Amino acid sequence: MNVLGKFAALGALALITACTSNDPSTLGGGAGGNGAIVPGSPSDPRSPAYFQQAVGDRVLFLVDQSTLTPEAQTILQGQADWLLANTDYVATIEGHADEQGTREYNLALGERRANAAREYLISRGVAGNRLQTVSFGKERPIEICSTEECYSKNRRAVTVLTGSTTG
Amino acid sequence: MMRLLTSLFVGMTLLAVPVFAQNGPLRLELDEGIIEPLPFAVPTFVPDTPAAAQYANDISRVISADLTGTGLFREIAPDAFISRVSSFDAPVQFADWKAINAEALVTGAVNVSGKKLTVRFRVWDVFSGQELGNGLQFAGTTDGWRRMAHKVADQVYARVTGEGGYFDSRVAFVSESGPKDQRKKRLAIMDYDGANVQYLTDSAAIVLAPRFSPSGDRLLYTSYESGRPRIYVLDVGRVKRQELKTQEGTMSFSPRFSPDGQSIVYSLAQGGNTDLWKMDLGSGQSTRLTNTPSIETAPSYSPDGSRIVFESDRSGTPQLYIMPAQGGEATRISFGQGRYGTPVWSPRGDLVAFTKQNKGRFHIGVMRTDGSEERLLTASFLDEGPTWSPNGRVIMFTRETQGASGRSTLYSVDISGRNLRPVRTPDGGSDPSWGPLQN
Amino acid sequence: MQTGTKISAIAHVSLIGWALFGGTFRSEPLPMAVQDVSVVTAEQFAAMTAQKDAPELAPAPTELEQPAEQGGTPDAIEPLQQEPQRPEPVTPAEPTAEPEPDPVETPPEPEVVEQPETLPEPEPEVAALPEPPGPEAQPRPADKVAPEPIAPPPPDVKPDDVETPAVSLDEGAEVQQEQQDQTAPEEATDEIVTEAEETPELSPRASPRPPARPSRPEPAQEPQVAETPEPAQEPTQSDQGAINDALAEALGGAQEPSGPPLTSGEKDAMRLAVSQCWNVGSLSTDALSTVVVVGFSLNRDGTVVGGSLTMLDSSGGSAGAAKQAYEAARRAILRCGAKGYDLPADKFAQWQNIEITFNPERMRIK
Repeated sequence: MNVLGKFAALGALALITACTSNDPSTLGGGAGGNGAIVPGSPSDPRSPAYFQQAVGDRVLFLVDQSTLTPEAQTILQGQADWLLANTDYVATIEGHADEQGTREYNLALGERRANAAREYLISRGVAGNRLQTVSFGKERPIEICSTEECYSKNRRAVTVLTGSTTG
Repeated sequence: MMRLLTSLFVGMTLLAVPVFAQNGPLRLELDEGIIEPLPFAVPTFVPDTPAAAQYANDISRVISADLTGTGLFREIAPDAFISRVSSFDAPVQFADWKAINAEALVTGAVNVSGKKLTVRFRVWDVFSGQELGNGLQFAGTTDGWRRMAHKVADQVYARVTGEGGYFDSRVAFVSESGPKDQRKKRLAIMDYDGANVQYLTDSAAIVLAPRFSPSGDRLLYTSYESGRPRIYVLDVGRVKRQELKTQEGTMSFSPRFSPDGQSIVYSLAQGGNTDLWKMDLGSGQSTRLTNTPSIETAPSYSPDGSRIVFESDRSGTPQLYIMPAQGGEATRISFGQGRYGTPVWSPRGDLVAFTKQNKGRFHIGVMRTDGSEERLLTASFLDEGPTWSPNGRVIMFTRETQGASGRSTLYSVDISGRNLRPVRTPDGGSDPSWGPLQN
Repeated sequence: MQTGTKISAIAHVSLIGWALFGGTFRSEPLPMAVQDVSVVTAEQFAAMTAQKDAPELAPAPTELEQPAEQGGTPDAIEPLQQEPQRPEPVTPAEPTAEPEPDPVETPPEPEVVEQPETLPEPEPEVAALPEPPGPEAQPRPADKVAPEPIAPPPPDVKPDDVETPAVSLDEGAEVQQEQQDQTAPEEATDEIVTEAEETPELSPRASPRPPARPSRPEPAQEPQVAETPEPAQEPTQSDQGAINDALAEALGGAQEPSGPPLTSGEKDAMRLAVSQCWNVGSLSTDALSTVVVVGFSLNRDGTVVGGSLTMLDSSGGSAGAAKQAYEAARRAILRCGAKGYDLPADKFAQWQNIEITFNPERMRIK
């Protein structure tokens, strides 16, 4: 399965590709950090940008699957660690599907994926009331070609920090 | 007269017998004919006054387009006409219409008086020289001229084919624009032929899958305006909408009305599991219809309301199942290769239309409600979401093209698999829901 | 599909796993509550669409309802002639043409020969279909399952022609005519093949225009109604004509040999001839499951005796479906027999009365 290779590539991808759908500037900025690091920048380990890019805000799934791969579990472990360290944040996990499949089924499938990620984070100690889920089915692909290369990136669960619980 | 002729035949037989044995009529059996659109002519309706001329012309054109669009009829171009119809009441020159091989002829006249528009028409079987049905007149306002044309065409269709028409009906759909990853979706409604599009929502939130109520007065649809998919019901006439109180914090989607319009069945997703629920619209009470760890979605009632066909992946892949309307044991009906989804019960009750995915292609197909006689009507990169015409003869669906520039378009196809054609909409279109014939 | 199976197996194992461990994992389920009906502000939407809405939805339907009520079903429909305010066009034909006899479906407007040919022509642009299928004809649906295309037999038999002697049960005084064979028939035949081939587009096709208005050379046996006769009498006339013809034939037939029965080849030729015009393409699925038996008589020249067509039997469908099925059969017999069926003259007595069973089962949309 060359998907594994793709996962390897994904790590790199997550580092260089800022998720276009999430504008870090709107995220209530994780303040603090030491003076040498620009607060809120990807180099600030307490920033959402760091969460997105260094930790990795998304996990990918195989066709029709909502099972977490080992790679996905690794990423989610990182997310859990971050969330446990940054308790101000709550998150919504967005589940997505590729375009192969009907609209209705993909909505349900996306919810399964989002929930898989959520359950994993909870199992790692993140409080359930900090984690919401939503599915976009095939409505919001990030890659729009109609080949497996794009599909594999669209079958995803993205953990989106939606703001801090306290100020 | 028949009797007369019959007795005549008997007489002839008797006469013939003494000479040669005569075996009565020559008996033949035909089991093969042709399948071609029936050639018809619609000479421009006669305007009673000059003011009616434009309406007469437009109405005649819409009638022709309606009939031609079915694939069951073929218009004979007016430049082939031999005789002109200059008076609605003048006798029809059948010979002239036979000569150009018109089998059906529609004659009519249009009267305009102020805002009032009157259309009268007759349908003729040219080769027998008989009128099909009786002349009829519709009255309305001038701004309703298209509907009147559709009504005439519905009558012609019914009189020739023997089944109800579907032209005076509307379709709700999702109007789509923009690239795939930032698609703007708006709820819209239009005449069945793509005319008179009006938008019911703006594109601020993703909207999905509108579903007409049986009487056509309300629409169910799914919107993301709250951040997650929730079901809304919209009063089509007043454009007033309301969110249905499904459980908070959950995703609810894929709704559909029961045939009596009193309740809906829908999918509710929570905790990674999607099941079917039913809500009584009067009381707002929801009850659970399925309770399995698999995905159950895309429910559709049988026309009598007794059963529900839906999609489930309980077998490992999405397949079609039927269960009693109040829930209970479900029977699988799809057994072909591939994955099946979005089943929709036909208005006649005998067929289920569905989306099928197999070997990288999508199809719209129909099968009997016991799963037999599956027939695929279309094939493309992505076809999905069938909806039935009010008479159960035509299926409209979404076709999405491939790749980064992919675009959604509405298509319709006759249940014979013939006459596949796009439905024109201003932008892209998806998720059609065909409403009932209007009154 | 093996991969799929594996994947699905994995999925199921994991699902089951979750079901088992669910208790642990779901220690903190999503907050759940029942929400009241929340009426979302609809004002802006109303504002956005209200104007458009009103005209479209309100007026037209209500107005239209009336006529619809008048005649929800064809049977109940109020015949037009009862419409009082209709202006009487002044046409030579008018007096006798007599606006529609009865609610019964028999407004057999006799043909008026002297109708001027130079009448102001109605706009011919009706032809312009708003939906020209051609350009948009998308890739033909490859895997689509179409009903078996029935390729019509080669048009060696009778091309469809158009002249028809008097027809119909109830009479429409038919003025038959004889003319223009090549053009129209050819076209029809082509069409058949194409359509049966499931070629999608049914774009309107121009029927070649016949050279000129046909003269009416031979009146045939059928009394040609040249001058607008009164409809009421017409039946009598046709009947009389038919009877006379039949009588004459019967009398004549008595004296001449009826000949041996038709050979199977001759019968096949006759069947083929009719089948070429038996078009079930526009029939409802109901009518397509209805078998009808149609009886009729032929003149010595192979043309159909006016008024002889009758439905002898039907089975499998409703009365309405049988009517449509019969009408399609009637069209077939009349169209293809317009120039007279080619049958051996010496066996006239064998084929002068014919009963054809039209069984569309094989052509049904399953």
